[in-house]
Amino acid sequence: MKIVYDLFVTALYAVFVQNMVMSFGLGSSEAIRASSKPDRFISLAAMISGFSVATSVICKLIDMFTASAELPYALRAAVYGGVLAGVYFIAAFAALVIFKASKKAMGTLGISALNTLVFAVPFINNTASYSFANCIGSGIGAGIAFVLAAALISRGAVRLAENKDIPAVFKGTPAMFIYVGILSLAFSGFADSTLFS
Amino acid sequence: MSEKIPSAKEVLIKGSFIHNPILIQCAGLCPVVAAAASLKNAALLAAAVSITTLITCIIASALLKKVQRWIRMGIYLIIGISIICPVLFLLETRSEAELPLVMKIYLPLIAVNSVTAVHCEQFSVRNPVKLAFYDSVAVSIGSSAVLLICGAIREIIGYSSIAGHELKLHATIRGAALPFGCFIILGFLAAILKWISAYRYPSLVPDSEAIVRTKPKKEDGEGTVEVDVFDEFWNESSKTDLAADEYDELFDSLDNIFDFNGGEDEK
Repeated sequence: MKIVYDLFVTALYAVFVQNMVMSFGLGSSEAIRASSKPDRFISLAAMISGFSVATSVICKLIDMFTASAELPYALRAAVYGGVLAGVYFIAAFAALVIFKASKKAMGTLGISALNTLVFAVPFINNTASYSFANCIGSGIGAGIAFVLAAALISRGAVRLAENKDIPAVFKGTPAMFIYVGILSLAFSGFADSTLFS
Repeated sequence: MSEKIPSAKEVLIKGSFIHNPILIQCAGLCPVVAAAASLKNAALLAAAVSITTLITCIIASALLKKVQRWIRMGIYLIIGISIICPVLFLLETRSEAELPLVMKIYLPLIAVNSVTAVHCEQFSVRNPVKLAFYDSVAVSIGSSAVLLICGAIREIIGYSSIAGHELKLHATIRGAALPFGCFIILGFLAAILKWISAYRYPSLVPDSEAIVRTKPKKEDGEGTVEVDVFDEFWNESSKTDLAADEYDELFDSLDNIFDFNGGEDEK
């Protein structure tokens, strides 16, 4: 029961309390780019969660059975990077050979595996000394956090495009950055940060 | 008909300025938003992004043109890790100053930076090595400039210092050092860049006339006229003038809220 509780609490923490995209900026480029394709949200969430969970669990096992958790960050990064590359190549090969994935699906697979959000999850787990259940929870939470951020950005992007009062110089990315900044400010409220001093 | 090959100057201007990777293409935001909260961190990140982009783009253009896209994507990660990890190792073990934890976590993430992947896929694998080199130089200049400007602004506003030297400002806005502050700064920097690009290179920027125009136009029945936004604001504001007794009432209520007299009247 405790394992399930840990898993859910960590997932909820990663989605709402410290949304990895909005509060840390992890995978924010991909979230902004993905926001224009709402039809891909579910597949992106599943793939990001899958890659995050697989990478986190393997990295946790390596940390447990070797001394990698005590190594300098540079060597730890090399180990985690190698794990992510291995997981990506196996998943992409399986998708291509077994499931005959289309070019579009392979593109989505690449975006969902090779981004800062998925690569950061093992570092976060390591720094927070997460258990196995926590690692799985943070992996699942990463995928949901990404899609929540992309959906919020997508909704705002439609409103920004419809708004004719925005000056021409702010149309496009400037307005989008300011909108994402306001969303990020809302999530900062959960993190108990000092904004002015 | 063969496609026109762009000149080196054109590649440099477009890559660093008009299609700035961070401000216009929204790529590589993570290091800027999450870690570039001071000028020193920003300089370190800028160096790491530039070296990774330069080497990866040249390798992609020279060796990976015939490799399938999904394999190339994994190779970019391996190249990035092979560049970043030795640099980080040297910084961790040989540097006299202790590297902040945020940099130890975010520096390796540059290996999966979207700036590198986007430019390798959109430009390097489709062009000769020489042009790929120019493009990666332009991208490095563009992203480094944004990282440094953002780092400096965030350190000044957020911590009242620059490169670790105290500035003794009257107030600091700590929010500027948080990701939301950076997004808002990026929004204004993107608008400034867009205006300069439209003013300097109008033929290369779509809708440049509307961007450069400082006074918006509106239909008034007899055609399109320019509107002075400040005049309009002033006219609209003056329409909401309060009557004298309403002013008194308003100031009385403000006195009560802010307690301007410091409670001395009651003494």
